[in-house]
Amino acid sequence: MNEQQARDLERAIATDPRTNELGIRIQVRGDHLVVSGEVASQERRATVIEVVREHEPGLDIVDHIMLSAEPGPGGPDHEQIEPPRRS
Amino acid sequence: MPDPIRVAAVGDVHLADDLRGRYAPLLTDISEEADALLVAGDLTQHGTLEEAEAFADEFDAADVPVLVVLGNHDYHSGAERDIVHLLEDRGVTVLEGTSTTIDTDAGRLGVAGIKGFCLGFVGRCAADFGEPEMKAFTGHGIETAALLREALDGLAAEKPDVTVALSHFAPVDDTLIGEPKEIWPFLGNYRLGEAIDETGVDLAIHGHAHAGREKGLTPVGVPVRNVAQPVIQAAFRVYDVVPRRSA
Repeated sequence: MNEQQARDLERAIATDPRTNELGIRIQVRGDHLVVSGEVASQERRATVIEVVREHEPGLDIVDHIMLSAEPGPGGPDHEQIEPPRRS
Repeated sequence: MPDPIRVAAVGDVHLADDLRGRYAPLLTDISEEADALLVAGDLTQHGTLEEAEAFADEFDAADVPVLVVLGNHDYHSGAERDIVHLLEDRGVTVLEGTSTTIDTDAGRLGVAGIKGFCLGFVGRCAADFGEPEMKAFTGHGIETAALLREALDGLAAEKPDVTVALSHFAPVDDTLIGEPKEIWPFLGNYRLGEAIDETGVDLAIHGHAHAGREKGLTPVGVPVRNVAQPVIQAAFRVYDVVPRRSA
């Protein structure tokens, strides 16, 4: 897979109605196809890998996709925004 | 110093059935923390009505007014008008080049919002030149900023104590640091920033830049916060905005 095909695969992941993930990056490293980026759930991660497989890249697929941190319980951070001190 | 108006915000929640249950438990009793909840677009993953229903169900848990703008994902299925109607039927205020005010214990909060569009930033932005397609692309970016400016100008007549500008696309590039520079023109629009700088905004909130950073400033010094969920990694952030009036 050359650079252009990697970009085409990124575009396919962005436009495939099953995924529509715009933040996935594809890189070729030797015999490996590294899939990275961030998605919101395990299910979305699996679908991205499925779409990559369907394109039969002929390389070992390495899944480096990160899952977005799930918002957890607990108090949210507050930040104070003060008005500008213009003279 | 006057008490602050507490503005909660999140963006890019990209809801679909697989994320049901992720937000509702964290939004219950949000009134203890905030006076309003702003959502900076990309409410859904593919812009379908089913996903909008999932958004409405999750955010219905919030016991404060929920104000949103749409994002590019919410347009993807061509159902954006139906999504707006569904959300408004469910009590969500959708800002599309429009504004609203909310009276809180600490004063009047005014919010003007728009999705915005691509354009880029000074020195590396799309130009209104050449092919009709390029002019249409650029023109739409410029038009969205003009609509935000009109909404903010209109809001001034309501004399809010705190004015917030809400968009999906970024009004500055400060909050894009971390994103590949090559895509910055697709993430933000400096004309939105100009509109914010010229209309007395106290805080600008946006999303869209999942790999950017939370905090930035406009050229004039208005605080800008990128609340894309992957950036803030929380159900929402709260900004306690102190009104400008003297104590």
